[in-house]
Amino acid sequence: MLRRLRTSITRKIMLLVVGTTVSALLLSAVGLVVYDLRSYERQRTEDLHLQAEIIARASAPALAFDDRRTAEKDLALVRVRPLVIAAAIYTEHGELFAKYLKPGEPPADFPSRPGPEGSRVQGGEIVMFHRVVEGTDPLGTIYIRARYVPWGRVFSYLAILGIVMVASLALATVVSGWLQHGVTDPILEVARVAREVMNRRDYSLRARKTSEDEIGDLVDAFNGMLAEAGRRAEALREADRRKDEFLATLAHELRNPLAPLRNALEILRAAQATPEMHARALEMMERQLRQMVRLVDDLLDVSRITTGKLGVRKAAFDMREAVRDAVDTVRPFLDSRGHAFEARVAAEPLMVDGDAARLGQVVGNLLHNAAKYTEAGGRIELEAGREGDDAVVRVRDNGIGLDERALASIFDMFVQVDRSLTRAQAGLGVGLTLARRLVALHGGTITAYSAGLGRGSEFVMRIPVSDSPAARPVPEVRPGPPRPQGRRILIADDNVEFADSLSSLLASRGHDVRVAHDGAEALGAVEGFTPEFAFLDIGMPKVHGYELARRLRERPETAECVLVAVTGWGQEDDRRRALEAGFDRHLVKPVNPADIESLLQLMGRPQVA
Amino acid sequence: MLVLAVSASAGAQRVEAPEASVKAAFLYKFGGYVEWPPRTGGSAEPFTIGVLDSEAVAEELDRLVPGRSVGGRPVAVRRLRRGDPMKGVQLLFAGGESPDRDAIRAAQAEGALVVTESRAGLAAGSAINFVMAGDHVGFEVSLDGAERSGLRISARMLAVARRVVQKGA
Repeated sequence: MLRRLRTSITRKIMLLVVGTTVSALLLSAVGLVVYDLRSYERQRTEDLHLQAEIIARASAPALAFDDRRTAEKDLALVRVRPLVIAAAIYTEHGELFAKYLKPGEPPADFPSRPGPEGSRVQGGEIVMFHRVVEGTDPLGTIYIRARYVPWGRVFSYLAILGIVMVASLALATVVSGWLQHGVTDPILEVARVAREVMNRRDYSLRARKTSEDEIGDLVDAFNGMLAEAGRRAEALREADRRKDEFLATLAHELRNPLAPLRNALEILRAAQATPEMHARALEMMERQLRQMVRLVDDLLDVSRITTGKLGVRKAAFDMREAVRDAVDTVRPFLDSRGHAFEARVAAEPLMVDGDAARLGQVVGNLLHNAAKYTEAGGRIELEAGREGDDAVVRVRDNGIGLDERALASIFDMFVQVDRSLTRAQAGLGVGLTLARRLVALHGGTITAYSAGLGRGSEFVMRIPVSDSPAARPVPEVRPGPPRPQGRRILIADDNVEFADSLSSLLASRGHDVRVAHDGAEALGAVEGFTPEFAFLDIGMPKVHGYELARRLRERPETAECVLVAVTGWGQEDDRRRALEAGFDRHLVKPVNPADIESLLQLMGRPQVA
Repeated sequence: MLVLAVSASAGAQRVEAPEASVKAAFLYKFGGYVEWPPRTGGSAEPFTIGVLDSEAVAEELDRLVPGRSVGGRPVAVRRLRRGDPMKGVQLLFAGGESPDRDAIRAAQAEGALVVTESRAGLAAGSAINFVMAGDHVGFEVSLDGAERSGLRISARMLAVARRVVQKGA
């Protein structure tokens, strides 16, 4: 291939140079010859004209005084012009008066009468007639016939052209050789490096730049592409590595809670277990379950980020609300790590336009990270307040801190700072990625600061404050003790175990619960029951959840019922469809019993005593 | 010229006319080969050829000169008799075998070119003398004869003269 490339480009350059030279030479030669032939004809004509004029002047007296002898002597002057073959003088009346024939020429006919004034070329000869005038009196006509041989000159030209051509070809060879050094060599160098890169997969190779012209640009561009390809290959490898790590982590994380869960089950089954042991087992099961739910939620968010479907539902809300929710969520974890926690939350509302649940998730994540990456017994601080036009939440810790590299990559997908952490706390390494995306969707920023490893870190989230005044009061929600009053509740789900376990749970808290396992059964169950709440699965046989909701809304006894969709589908679109079908709320499985309890308290109409 | 002369002449003059006609034509043409002194008169003043003792030549000249010119001047023919003054004559043709020497001298005194047709023409003092070779008309020139009139005859014309008598010869 190298061989072919070399021959090919070299030959092309040679053809180019030689072709250009030869065509230019031929064109100019043709032009010169044409010009020369024309000027030769003109020159010969002028020359003959001059001779005719000289003879006319000389022979005018001979013509005037009828002296043939003198005329012939005058005429014979043309013998000094070897190209003149024949000449003659005619009288005023057109009679041949004197004639001259070049010695050695075959006898030739002279025109019997003079032709019109002027010259013309015929065959290899040029013929001219020229009037003789003395004063104003016409005396006669001069006739001259001369050889006209332009081809001799053409042959001379061809010979010169041949010599010039040979010299030009030699020059062209030299020039193309020089061009080969200037053009071909750098290209061959690029080709060599390209082949080397393909063979060795080594993107650090670079072609040598030898000139500052377009070929130099080509070499630069080629090297730039190599650098880019190298970066991309590296990025791909890195992404691949992170994904592998993520999958390993995920498998590990999902498997981790299973052993404690199984142990807890065994404890519950064991006959000799004390009620305290039962309670501890249940507590453990709940904790492990929460961990798994969090993992699966993270997974769902990862898929939303990668498919670009991460969305937020914006509404005006008080940021302090989200901060309090987050603190409440993370508090048990903070306590379990023995951290000292201090929260300073502004006294006035921090209204922002955004998704309260998502921003609460972000703050929770920051707090969770702070607790996770700080040695037990550390100090965690949270500040929430207004700075200029931003609602700012700062989470500070005195934990392991971040080095410069970590600061740069901490928000990348699947990046985790310390892999040596116990797996129980590890998580999937998507929290900060998700946080940054969510904050960006609110038009805000999130930034990490750290003085270095072991010197703690600070994460700052800024969300623009919305100008709308506090629309609704912040409800001080604290899960209080369950009310003793029971509610009438319908549960419809074709997952028998889920339906029955939820039913038992709610019944155990004093509610009146009926269960149906498909839509049709659910419609039957509301007869005479008039539920205040209905938890409906969407994907049920016979009548699906959306249809069921519509029908329940049409019935007078269930028109006012609080309808809650309970599905495994948590996408924005699913929520929208549920609300359109007449549902009041949308819960994603697995449902936290505490959520149901708070829902029952919030949404329920005042009890008829 | 012979042809023209023949066709232009009447049939009765066939023998005489060619010679007279050629001589008339030559007389007119001589004017073109002589260096004339700068003129004193107006341009309308004609170039006058005076003819003495040759009615035939005078007639041919009458036929020939209309429309022609010498040195830009129209040509006029004047018939002279012996003893006539030569004033205003630029070229005198003294015909006959014995030309009038007084007339020749008088003409040369006036600066006129004198042409004769006698065997003793040049000896009689003329500048140009017609000679016959067979039926061809030729002429001989005497440079002294021209000089007596203060005139120079063109070398081109001398080239076709049968004989040129050099000065002092």
